[in-house]
Amino acid sequence: MSDVACASGVELLMDYLEGVLPPDVRAALDEHVAGCERCAAFVASYCDTPRILRDASAVTLPPDVEASLASFLRARTNSFRNRD
Amino acid sequence: MDGVVPAADASDETLAARAAAGDDSAFEELVRRYQARVFRLACRITTDTDAPDVLQETFLQVYRNLPSFRGESQFGTWVYRIATNAALMHRRSSARRPGDSLESFLPGFDAEGRHTATPAELQVTARAEEALDRQVLAAKARDGIARLPDLYRTPFVLRDLEGLGTSDVARILSVEPATVRQRVHRARLMLRGYLAHLVEVQQ
Repeated sequence: MSDVACASGVELLMDYLEGVLPPDVRAALDEHVAGCERCAAFVASYCDTPRILRDASAVTLPPDVEASLASFLRARTNSFRNRD
Repeated sequence: MDGVVPAADASDETLAARAAAGDDSAFEELVRRYQARVFRLACRITTDTDAPDVLQETFLQVYRNLPSFRGESQFGTWVYRIATNAALMHRRSSARRPGDSLESFLPGFDAEGRHTATPAELQVTARAEEALDRQVLAAKARDGIARLPDLYRTPFVLRDLEGLGTSDVARILSVEPATVRQRVHRARLMLRGYLAHLVEVQQ
C-alpha cells in the first residue's frame, strides 16, 4: 500500500487528470486508488460532476434574443461606421 | 485567395480579417458562429436576465476591436475573453445577494486523512440525473454554479462547462495554468458534494 492518504490524493486529482503529475507521484496515486474503495468511488463521482452540470446547465439561444442582437448590431455598427 | 471563399466555409481568422476591412457579411457569419456559445456562457456566469445584455455588449466589443485582433490567440479564445469580461462587469454591477456557501459540501476526512463517507455515499453524485427531475436538476445546477465563489466560478465555467483548454482559460483570465487547475478543482469538489446532497435529500 502506498503512503498516499485519501485527503492528499484528493488534492492531486485535477493535476492527475490533466497529466501534469510527476510519474512517481502518479504511480503512488494509482496504487492508492486501486486499493481504496472510497477513493475509487470518489474519483468516479469527481469525474462525473462536470458532465452532469454541463448537461444540466445547457441553454439554447432564444429566437427573440437572437433577433434583438441582430437589430442591435445593425444599428450600432452603422452608427459606429458613420462616425469614421 | 480569401475573397473567393464563401463566408460559411472561411476560417474564423479569415472572417475576422474581412470583417475588420468592412465586410458586414463576414461579421454576421462570426456572430452566427459564436452567439449561442456567448449566450450560454453569459447565462452561466450571470443570469438569464442579464445574458442578453452581455451578448450585445460582447459582439459590440468584438466589432469595435476587430482591427486590433492580431491572431496571437485563436479567434474563439479572443471572443471568450471579451465575453467573460463583459459578463464579469455585469456581475459586479448587479446588486446580488450572495447565496449560501458551498464550503460545507467539501469532502470530509478523519484524523488520518481517510474519507469519512462510505463508498456508497461517495458515488451518489452519479445518480443525480436519475434521482432528480430534469427541470429540477437544471434549476439546482444553475443555483449551485451561481453559489460558487466568484474566483472559482469563472474558470470552472470556461474549463468544464464550455470545454476550453486549461491554457486557454489561463490566457483569458491572465493567471497561470496551475492556478486554473487549482480553482477548477475547488469548484469540482464543492459541486460534487452539492450534487450528492441533492440526491440525498431527494431520497
